[in-house]
Amino acid sequence: MRDAVADAAIAGGLPVASLIAGNKSPADVTRDVCRALDAKPSGLWWLGLGLSGSALLLGVVAVSYQMATGIGTWGLNSTVGWAFDITNFVFWIGIGHAGTLISAILFLLRQRWRTSVNRAAEAMTLFAVMCAGLFPLIHMGRPWLAFWMLPYPNTRGSLWINFRSPLIWDFFAISTYFTISAVFWYIGLLPDLATIRDRMRASHETDRNARGTDAHDNTTYDNTAYDNTAYVVSGFSRTRMRIFDWLSLGWNGSYRTWHRYEVVYLLLAALATPLVLSVHSIVSMDFATALVPGWHTTIFPPYFVAGAIFSGMAMVLTLMLVARKTMRIEDYITARHVDAMCRLVILTSGIVGLAYATELFTAFYSGNQYEQSAFVNRVVGPLAWGYWVMVGCNVLVPQLFWFAGVRRSFLMVFIISLFINVGMWFERFIIIVSSLERGFLPSSWASYSPTSIEIATLIGSFGLFFTCFLLFCRFVPVIAMAEIKAVLGKAR
Amino acid sequence: MSENPKRYWMSPVSDVERDSRDGATVPIANGDPDFVTTRRSFLKAAGFTFAGAVAASCSRAPATSAIPYAQQPEGVVPGRPLLYASTCGACEARCGLLVTTRDGRPIKIEGNPDHPLSGGATCAVGQASLLGLYDSLRLKGPLRRGQQSTWPDVDMEIAATLERLRQEGGAVRLLSPTITSPTTAALIADFLGGFKNAQHITYDPISASAVLEAHALTHGRRLLPQFRFDQADVIVSFDADFLGTWISPVQFTRGYTSRRRIDGGARQAQGAPTMSYHVQIESRLSLTGSNADRRLRVAPGELGHLATHLAVRVAERAGIPFAADGLAASSMEPAIEAIADRLWTARARGLVISSSQDVSVQLLCNFMNRTIGAYGTTLDVERPSYQRLGDDRDLAGLRAELSRGEVAALFVAGVNPVYDLPDATALAGDLRRVPLLVSTAERPDETASLATFVCPAHHYLESWDDTEAVSGVVSLTQPVIAPLGDTRALIESLSAWTTGTAQPALDLIRGHWERAIHPRSAGTSDPAGVAEPFQTFWDRTLERGVADIAPRDERPASAPSSRAPAVRPFDQSAVLAILRPDAPPSGSFALVLYPNIGMLDGRHGHNAWLHELPDPVTKVTWDNYASFSPTAARQLGVEDGDVVRIGADGAQPIELPAFVQPGQHDATVAIALGYGRAGTDRFASVGPPWFEARRQTGLVGVNAAALVTTTEAGRRYSGRTVTVATVGRTRQLASTQIHHSLAVQTTFAPSISQEPRPIVQEVTLGELSGTSATGGAAATSAAPPESGLREESLWPADHPYPEHRWGMAVDLNACTGCSACVIACQAENNIPVVGQDEVRRKREMHWIRIDRYYSGTDAEPEVVHQPMLCQHCGHAPCETVCPVLATTHSDEGLNQQVYNRCVGTRYCANNCPYKVRRFNWFDYPHEDRLQNLVFNPNVTVRSRGVMEKCTFCVQRIEEVKIEARRLGQPVADGAVKTACQQVCPAEAIVFGDLRDPNSRVATLARSRRAFRVLEDLGTDPGVHYLKIVRHDPAAADERRRG
Repeated sequence: MRDAVADAAIAGGLPVASLIAGNKSPADVTRDVCRALDAKPSGLWWLGLGLSGSALLLGVVAVSYQMATGIGTWGLNSTVGWAFDITNFVFWIGIGHAGTLISAILFLLRQRWRTSVNRAAEAMTLFAVMCAGLFPLIHMGRPWLAFWMLPYPNTRGSLWINFRSPLIWDFFAISTYFTISAVFWYIGLLPDLATIRDRMRASHETDRNARGTDAHDNTTYDNTAYDNTAYVVSGFSRTRMRIFDWLSLGWNGSYRTWHRYEVVYLLLAALATPLVLSVHSIVSMDFATALVPGWHTTIFPPYFVAGAIFSGMAMVLTLMLVARKTMRIEDYITARHVDAMCRLVILTSGIVGLAYATELFTAFYSGNQYEQSAFVNRVVGPLAWGYWVMVGCNVLVPQLFWFAGVRRSFLMVFIISLFINVGMWFERFIIIVSSLERGFLPSSWASYSPTSIEIATLIGSFGLFFTCFLLFCRFVPVIAMAEIKAVLGKAR
Repeated sequence: MSENPKRYWMSPVSDVERDSRDGATVPIANGDPDFVTTRRSFLKAAGFTFAGAVAASCSRAPATSAIPYAQQPEGVVPGRPLLYASTCGACEARCGLLVTTRDGRPIKIEGNPDHPLSGGATCAVGQASLLGLYDSLRLKGPLRRGQQSTWPDVDMEIAATLERLRQEGGAVRLLSPTITSPTTAALIADFLGGFKNAQHITYDPISASAVLEAHALTHGRRLLPQFRFDQADVIVSFDADFLGTWISPVQFTRGYTSRRRIDGGARQAQGAPTMSYHVQIESRLSLTGSNADRRLRVAPGELGHLATHLAVRVAERAGIPFAADGLAASSMEPAIEAIADRLWTARARGLVISSSQDVSVQLLCNFMNRTIGAYGTTLDVERPSYQRLGDDRDLAGLRAELSRGEVAALFVAGVNPVYDLPDATALAGDLRRVPLLVSTAERPDETASLATFVCPAHHYLESWDDTEAVSGVVSLTQPVIAPLGDTRALIESLSAWTTGTAQPALDLIRGHWERAIHPRSAGTSDPAGVAEPFQTFWDRTLERGVADIAPRDERPASAPSSRAPAVRPFDQSAVLAILRPDAPPSGSFALVLYPNIGMLDGRHGHNAWLHELPDPVTKVTWDNYASFSPTAARQLGVEDGDVVRIGADGAQPIELPAFVQPGQHDATVAIALGYGRAGTDRFASVGPPWFEARRQTGLVGVNAAALVTTTEAGRRYSGRTVTVATVGRTRQLASTQIHHSLAVQTTFAPSISQEPRPIVQEVTLGELSGTSATGGAAATSAAPPESGLREESLWPADHPYPEHRWGMAVDLNACTGCSACVIACQAENNIPVVGQDEVRRKREMHWIRIDRYYSGTDAEPEVVHQPMLCQHCGHAPCETVCPVLATTHSDEGLNQQVYNRCVGTRYCANNCPYKVRRFNWFDYPHEDRLQNLVFNPNVTVRSRGVMEKCTFCVQRIEEVKIEARRLGQPVADGAVKTACQQVCPAEAIVFGDLRDPNSRVATLARSRRAFRVLEDLGTDPGVHYLKIVRHDPAAADERRRG
């Protein structure tokens, strides 16, 4: 099977060997990737963790205050019932999509360049969905009753949930998405977890026997991966070893194990693939099925999916460009990977731009005065600045990626990816808030501005995301070692 | 048991181990064989402790006197309301009431349908006066120099002083507002009769004394005619806000709308529909002006000049000479000409009124009314009104006496002169020098704080009282709750000071009625003229609340002939032309002071419901402000909320935020009276406490009474020249509406089209009477409304409505926007007050609101009012989106919100096109235990985090249904009245069963004026609106349509 994959990759025009720079051996791969796991964390990592932990703490304080006092601590009002909360929710869900796209769809499409980024992208998906899932929960007036969204048999008469409500669809879509993403990510981790386990066991025995290298139990396929020098055996490492032992589910590197693994991985990829399309389609239906002018649009599902992939790719670029530099894995995430992602960004940017234009045209062409005024308001109304931030960041700035020089400049790519992140946040904010602010009855128009609690909650969600991501970098191999080894070309 | 040596330890440091300080580790037994802790004894002790703890935790909070009736009072059934007929005491209009009490406490005020003046209606202030009863700031007992005292002590000291004054002859003065109560008036006369130098001075905080003065000059008697808007076909109002605040707005609104109603009204005839024509000539945009068919925007100084122009033209048509030589020309002459035509066509069906405090303007009105023959039809001087009797000359006299220090004893009953009158500081100084100053204020107000004695009167719901608001209409006020404090009715106090003992108010009133009122009832109940026994008359009046009796005989004693008119023939000699307008010098403004619909003269400054009631025109809450026209605001460079300083010669300048008001005259600044009451700083704490809440400190609003002009003839509220300067601060006003037009940019080329949204629809009289496709038989034969959408629909008819489909019809042509429904709903449905900051954040909780839209130009806007409440859609957008089914459709057509199922996603509110859903952003404070007594026990008090909205008063529906089921009858049409419908003086709201084709609401829903808001969304609303009817644009009066 792996041969078939590799063949397909070559047939697809990407010479496999050139994916990874530096003519690495499999042992080099293990060493490079595990370096972050073995070494004491750098000062930079601590700084990052400190910052993101503080942000997380700020968010926890803000949410606790809001829970204790009431949703009134947000800037919402009778007219604008959703703003930062659902904006953040859609934003984070969108971020998550790139991970699934890279891990599932690109896997099925035999895009072998994905191997360098899929692990981190999938982790990003998980953390982003965690952040996203938080918002529907805390945005409730009575979050302690959130379990009422579950269709469980209860003693409250025949009380059931409303299957017609898009929020229920959301609930199922997101929980499904999270489950599948988590399982997919974990399954993909198994060979690497086993590698780590074996490295630990080897070094542990080395230490215990105070002897040479005869510690291998031949359970891994690649004995050359051991690098014992960094190991200091302690109670901590014993615990860690046990954890990894348990987590790797008795992986023994046998042909049978590999076979099962590959089949399951393929199946899960096939299962996850429709989610890339369905989750954000369903999220978009929160808006599309409502009758608020500016929400009530059939274009939303594809528009939101494209936007999600767009924003997710931008976030992957942001994270990976930082990670490759700080974790010294430049050889694994190369200009080729960045280039491929930039191309995806420009494609999705085009789709998003087309959606913006289509929305305006549809409103104009519909002859519906409510629809028209909603979009006039969006473009020239009180939140017009936000609309133009969105258009600028999402449509205009990514056009720079047409230039190969820009795509090759990591600094430029990084800056543009930040712009896209900002722009996509604003896209959701504009869709939600500008539409709600100017509804059908002019008497009820209102304006929205966030409170400090909402801003702190947004910051807190970034804190949660980056805290999780930094811990991930520290404890889990950020690059799928086993897959990289497969594309080194040496396995052939 | 007593032998049992076992001892239980009570606490770690017990007497057993008192010497040990180490309480936590005290061994329970120290080798003492009697005190060995065995396993068994430990378990016993533990069991005892546990049982004790359980027993202790079973006891509830200390029970106060929550005991059942030992003897059930007759007629009292727990849980069933008792209704008492009474009379409203919230203002001098004295509308008839039915007070709903439950378990001995009043929880809702309704209008008394039997009352001939107010019908079943009340106003916002009357509705809110219930909250005033449960105000914890009310005095609990008499005060002596600010200290708590007792009635015997207070009475003894007052009596001693009065006795001395009786001997020595010092000046005794009693200052009161208009006394509509015959008993009180008689007792005041009795009381003051005992002194050599005594006088009763009546003044109204919002004076109408010029009307009375003018009638004294033209009719020979100081009287206030009863204005019969129900008789008027053409109404010309010079600045009189008769639908909002002037004299008796409920009565006037009822009369006015009875001639504006097209469908189902009294005048629905087979012929073409007709409607009265209303001209408003005013400086600020008042509620009345917003309803006018024709509105002229003039400076206050131009009123008299325009009245003269109109008088000249009316006199010309009548052929009566009227000298107006040298009358300056006016740009409004074409309009005045057209109005004169209208007025002359209507003749006796015309009515000219003015709220001007300039007697000469009032004289011109009298002249015009007399010329067209309106006296006897639209103005009744035979049965005059007693709702305003104040005499500003007397007040000026008292003021002079006070400043000379000549008053020995001053009784202030029911007014607050230190607040109401312009020279507050000087007056306060003079009052301090009065040896005996007695106030009967309910609360420690500005005047009471200076008083020697405060003898607090009851709230009117605790008190016996009687009223004759209009000659011949007498009504009773009966107590519906025992006084909450140790207070005493004014008449009891008066009797105590007159006779030495406080007689019960009931005895006093019965006594007076037997002597003076009962004789006048002869012939009213029995055509034969046989008087019924007093007890029967009393019981009947008490039960009904009101009685029609012969008008008060006011003929002078010298002319006792039986049918002599009460007034002398019209004297035209006093009527003089006002030849030129009185314009303020350029660069300055003419001031217009007006009573606000909630605060009136400030007497309800302690009512949080009224503070949070949006002004019907400006939609601002919790503040007063200086209104400027858009042009003036541009010239001054001010926007909403910029603080300006208003200065006038000889008056302390006041600073308050500016407000830009379309339709106001450019050279005027309008300020509401009634704000800045002492003690309103407590409202700073209204609203949820959280760290970003921008709480206001200080009083609510600014008292503008300092700018009232005092002249020889009386106090004037408009026309004073003031200067305006910006201060450089801002104070954000709390407005419930930020966009004011239905015209919204609709195309991508913003300049091309401003197409108004068809949310409020209009029709002209001509279109209604015509047989075009828009009217006539075709429209009325449309599908019955209960079938849902009128056109084919994708929606399945999944709501069968087996018994009822409740629905509503709101006649936009009748609705004046008076906002009584807003407060009625608040009282009925336990709607919280959220405070100024929350209103600024657009989180007011009112379930019904009045949307107000302008059309036309900034300078001459046309105004529409639209009550907006939950539309109870057949296909409700809110229902489909709720994830937990907390909002559902009942099989009676109600969109119902299940509070305890709601998790608060707010999706329903987002998806509601009418934006009528209200969310509990916080736990709105209910700490004031006394104020909580106002809650309706039939309606849940909602907690934090749940959505709420109009229920169509489901508790009332159920009450009627239960009663109907008990009687085995179907629910009769009109039996269910929602709170908003019940209160409406315009009878603009009709509630009923749309499924019954003969019900009133179904008939209205089929009428050719019916439309539903945003019907094309497919929501199938259960609320039908009836289009506003406009007069056909005639050639003579070019319409101001934008």
